[in-house]
Amino acid sequence: MVIRRLVGRWQGVLLSLIGLVATIWLGITGQLALYIHPRYFVFTVVMAVIAGVLALAAFAFAPTEHDAHDHSDAHGAARGDAHDHSGVHRSRWGWLWPLGSVLTMVAAVVGLLVLPPSTLTTATVAQRDLNGSASALTLKAPALSGKGDYSAFTVRDWASLLRSGAGQDFFADKTATVTGFISADKTDPNVFFVTRFVVTCCAVDAQPIGVPVYHPGWQNEYKTDSWVTVTSGFRANPNSASREAIVLIPDTIQSTTQPAQPYVY
Amino acid sequence: MTLPAVDKRKQPEREHRSPVRAFTSRSAAGLAIGLALMALFAAVRMLAPSTTEAFGLPNAARDFATLSISVVVESLPFVFLGIVLSIAVQVWLPEGMLLRRLPRSPILRRLLLSLLGMLLPVCECGNVPLARGLVVKGLTVAESMTFLFAAPILNPVTIVTTAQAFGWSNGILASRVLGGFFIANLVGWIYSRHPRPGELLTSRFQETCNVADHDGGPGGRVRRSVQMFSQETRAMMPALFIGAGMAGLIQVAVSREVLVALGSNPVWSVLALMLLAFVVAICSNVDAFFILSFGATFLPGSIVAFLVFGPMIDVKMLALMRTTFTAKTLLQLSLLVALCAAVLGLAVNYGH
Repeated sequence: MVIRRLVGRWQGVLLSLIGLVATIWLGITGQLALYIHPRYFVFTVVMAVIAGVLALAAFAFAPTEHDAHDHSDAHGAARGDAHDHSGVHRSRWGWLWPLGSVLTMVAAVVGLLVLPPSTLTTATVAQRDLNGSASALTLKAPALSGKGDYSAFTVRDWASLLRSGAGQDFFADKTATVTGFISADKTDPNVFFVTRFVVTCCAVDAQPIGVPVYHPGWQNEYKTDSWVTVTSGFRANPNSASREAIVLIPDTIQSTTQPAQPYVY
Repeated sequence: MTLPAVDKRKQPEREHRSPVRAFTSRSAAGLAIGLALMALFAAVRMLAPSTTEAFGLPNAARDFATLSISVVVESLPFVFLGIVLSIAVQVWLPEGMLLRRLPRSPILRRLLLSLLGMLLPVCECGNVPLARGLVVKGLTVAESMTFLFAAPILNPVTIVTTAQAFGWSNGILASRVLGGFFIANLVGWIYSRHPRPGELLTSRFQETCNVADHDGGPGGRVRRSVQMFSQETRAMMPALFIGAGMAGLIQVAVSREVLVALGSNPVWSVLALMLLAFVVAICSNVDAFFILSFGATFLPGSIVAFLVFGPMIDVKMLALMRTTFTAKTLLQLSLLVALCAAVLGLAVNYGH
């Protein structure tokens, strides 16, 4: 009973505390970018701080013993309604509610406070069509200036150019340096993609994009999901049956670590 | 305000009479507990292993966690903002200031309420606590539904982002704004004819409203604000976390390719994108950018259906609204809104 009352009374404030501590920590360590677009950073952290003040005030203004007592009755009635059923239910299954609350809290602690922050992986690449999204591959204006400084081109720029159907002549004299994680080509075992996620709001809407790299036997040297930097010119794919007509054929592939901003915007 | 409000109104007064010292020492103790918990959580966070390898999770499990956390981190500030606004409306706004100025005619009232979102640019997850606050203040259930469904669409941020994403092409922006406005008012009109609107609410929330009716005294506003914060978070936070978990799970389980494959059929594309809207549970302020990334694959009507249905009904919203409305009501609402959004989408597709 005591536990139920405590859980009922404090679960909202505790879940808020868990959420806001995790948010502020992500903000301080610069890892919010793993979950949301940078334009929300300030708003998110400011709201977390405000909620922190309110949560602490909630502890300071905790109700008295007398309050808490009246509460438990109210609570019992309240718990039951979530079921929309009668008191019979409440007495037999009533313990399920505090249990559910505790489980939610444990899940929140594990998810937000224990698990290390992480980017999306190739599991999501496979699940969401690679290079299948149109706007993620819309070229930004300066990209096609012609005289262009191609060294600054990102995975997104090159993937857009490849997708836009520019011919082999266009790519003939260009060298790309791209960084991303490795995801396998589903159809051609000799090809892997240097992949990044494009994020418009938060990780939920991440769209995978990638530049194909032809490197037979890459599976023996690199693991999928590992980050690499590839520098190379574009060539025709030696395997003419492949879906990717133009690919990078690098002499060297450099392993690297995950950048601070793993997504592109 | 929930039950505690009753006692709270009287309690503080009694306390003021009792030695102030007892009160302050109790507050200090409470504050110390709060700070200790905060420090504990921070310590857990900082001491947890920093590499994923330590847990040896498969990729799908990692992505499930990342997606769910992403929904929580993205929605949390909006939920907090909604709670703060709700507190402002209930505790700090002079009694009746907002509602007294509304016109008498129910239809005009709802029309005006559906434009309230223009002043309160909160996305849909923040609207639930705010709508709860308005009902406690005397808004009818039907009016609260109109506000709840119209505000996320008729909202300056949403309109600007939709215009940025789609411009005026294909009438997507106009269909979204007018369609959302119409559906919200239709839902409000239908439910205004319900004989016992109280039955649409969960009994827990009904009690909250009844109690709020009775308390009239001054009482410490700061104290009431703080207590409302803990009540509202008690209702919202579990719903948000469970909703986020479901959204993450569904996204890992349902392949996008299936949905995209349906994209070019005028009927199926509408249904597919509504399903997508239900599943991704993304905030209305930014959903236009999200769906833009599918722009080439889908017909304009299906995009309109996505942009109208998503802000009103999705997994996260259902979990949040369940704090206030009964399951039966939510089922009816979901079907009604889905039907309207589908008709709107098909009309745009075929009338185009």
